[in-house]
Amino acid sequence: MSRYYEDVRVDDELEPVEKLPTEDLAIDFFGRDNPTNPAFADAEAGRRMGIGGALVPGVLKMSWMTQYVNDWAGAEAEVGSIRVAFRRPDVAGKPLVLMGRVVDKRQEGGKNVVELEVVTIADGEPSVRGNITVALPSRG
Amino acid sequence: MAEDEQSLITDEHRALIGVPGEPSTVVVREADAKRMRDVLGDTDPRWADGTGMAPPYVIAFFGGRGGGGGRATPQLLPGAILTQQEWKFSRPFKIGEELKAVGQVFDIRERLGGRYGHSVLVTTSTDYYDADGQHVAASLLTITQFDPARAGRGGSE
Repeated sequence: MSRYYEDVRVDDELEPVEKLPTEDLAIDFFGRDNPTNPAFADAEAGRRMGIGGALVPGVLKMSWMTQYVNDWAGAEAEVGSIRVAFRRPDVAGKPLVLMGRVVDKRQEGGKNVVELEVVTIADGEPSVRGNITVALPSRG
Repeated sequence: MAEDEQSLITDEHRALIGVPGEPSTVVVREADAKRMRDVLGDTDPRWADGTGMAPPYVIAFFGGRGGGGGRATPQLLPGAILTQQEWKFSRPFKIGEELKAVGQVFDIRERLGGRYGHSVLVTTSTDYYDADGQHVAASLLTITQFDPARAGRGGSE
């Protein structure tokens, strides 16, 4: 399904999606043969950092956010950028809810660009805030 | 200015800003793309098996494949945590293509107060170019450096 630029309005909201990050998911994301931050797989290492358990990798959350907007935008869209601020650490085993909203639409460099604000919510509080731009096809 | 509010950023640090590192290369590997797709449960047909394309988030792994672009990140304080990150895409990634990575220190600034106390924010960027020299993508990340002994507990990633 394609989503067209003309059909998108500022303040349109995306359907929330829940993700469950786990230690295994983090290890598999980077690959079991690739060394990464021990706090991603070891709850004790995370606790030593002052976090309540294993840390959810930031790039895993960014990837989920990118996928979330790609799924909403459809097969003819192209993500142009994602910029995020990590507000709080997320702990493996706690569900994350992705929510998104259209905050702008504009013509830019010959493209029909839609900008969305996407946030991950854990325990009712935002943990990552991001802005994602995506170019959409036109009906014209 | 109190002693602990003296700037930690020297002219040497400032001189690093904007200086490109020694370019490195990174290959967009099918195994990485497939593994990441599978973990995310991404069934988008544009980068399914056999399409020759990779999902945009494969850029998350370039640093781990030597694609940091030779940037030297100054370490001013012992603690470090990722606080901001950005990816930009000029075009989609193709499986198997070799990209030239060029990294640099983009900015260094200081912050007094807040949950980390006196902290230093180092932003680095890496640009990726294809064999024709065309820009493919960029990654920027900001690491907040801090002294764990002076910072509050917890905080952002």
